Amino acid sequence: MTSCLWSLENGRAKGKFVADQGIHLKDPLLDYRPMANKGYDANKPTTTMCHQVSQKDVIMRLLFVDGSLYLKGNPAIFHGYLDDQFTQLQKLQDESNPDFVVEVVSLFFEDSEKLLNNLTRALEQQNVDFRQVDAHVHQFKGSSSSIGAMRVKNVCVAFRNNCEAQNHEGSLRCLQQVKYEYSLLKNKLETLFRLEQQILAAGGSIPIME
Amino acid sequence: MCYWIIILEKSKTQMESGRGFGGSATRRIPNGKSLEQGDTAQGNNNGMSNGHGYVVLRNRLTALVVDDDRICRTCEKALLESYGVDTQAVENGRDAVDLFASGASFNLVLMAKVLPVMNGLEATRQIRAMGIRSKILAVTAAAYERERRAFLEAGADEFIEKPLTPQILVPILLELDNN
Repeated sequence: MTSCLWSLENGRAKGKFVADQGIHLKDPLLDYRPMANKGYDANKPTTTMCHQVSQKDVIMRLLFVDGSLYLKGNPAIFHGYLDDQFTQLQKLQDESNPDFVVEVVSLFFEDSEKLLNNLTRALEQQNVDFRQVDAHVHQFKGSSSSIGAMRVKNVCVAFRNNCEAQNHEGSLRCLQQVKYEYSLLKNKLETLFRLEQQILAAGGSIPIME
Repeated sequence: MCYWIIILEKSKTQMESGRGFGGSATRRIPNGKSLEQGDTAQGNNNGMSNGHGYVVLRNRLTALVVDDDRICRTCEKALLESYGVDTQAVENGRDAVDLFASGASFNLVLMAKVLPVMNGLEATRQIRAMGIRSKILAVTAAAYERERRAFLEAGADEFIEKPLTPQILVPILLELDNN
């Protein structure tokens, strides 16, 4: 096992050390975010372990420093499903709010499923009430943009245009598309969270090799 | 299918100090201004990072979030609170107007457009009619020009298409903090 994910230059991480936030490596692509900090002591010799874990097409890289675990980046962003807004949400997660991201995303799943059902019913009507449809799409656009679900949001933009034009065919196409994008996103996020859970669960038992 | 690549290195680390980083104190900027570009330890978001205490307000600001969507309410409230802003949230325009009528005051109001009971436009009008001069930001999924104009005419100070980002919010908070 000798592959190196990134260089640490004689054990010294490239970048600045911020005592209460952990190590930030100057990686141009991804930020680290602390997952489970057990305290950082600048005077202790650092034991650094780098891991890569993958499941399906989601890859995660993690860094252990003296028992503290840092997760490298969010791969979903690079698949184009989630934009910087999702990163902002991750930054809001901390010790006082440790499950923030999972909680918000769970609410999003609940609300989205209701919205999609309402949209389906509304578009099945003989005389479609486009103002009602637009109201649902408007809400979906707002919530999806709040969590950074950019592809879902973009379909909502087209969807609103179809409602504006009272275009039934176009609206039905948008509905199909938004359902598709939503299901892809949900799948990605569920994989991400499952992977994070596995990493946290395995964290205590990864052996230190001499 | 999971696979692991493990590297172990042992080393003595040295704390890189300089520019105020170092020790166990949290990074603070005394004059409340955000970091210059070169100071960020995090990538490329211009020092607007809230989760790491880069932006600190001198005063305790207060804000009211008015949105019937719980995702947006949760995200906006969390964002504001991460900057130390005391934040309340209500779900419709009527409740917002009632709060002001009861004597509550807020430095900042985030107002959505589509709301039950009383929509954001009407709530904005009524709040302004009471003589309230709080900063009102329309924060909405609406994006058409006519919707923007309507909100500004109703008395909103700015019109922001969701999502509300630190890049947009921080300058506004700093401005409120300085007044």
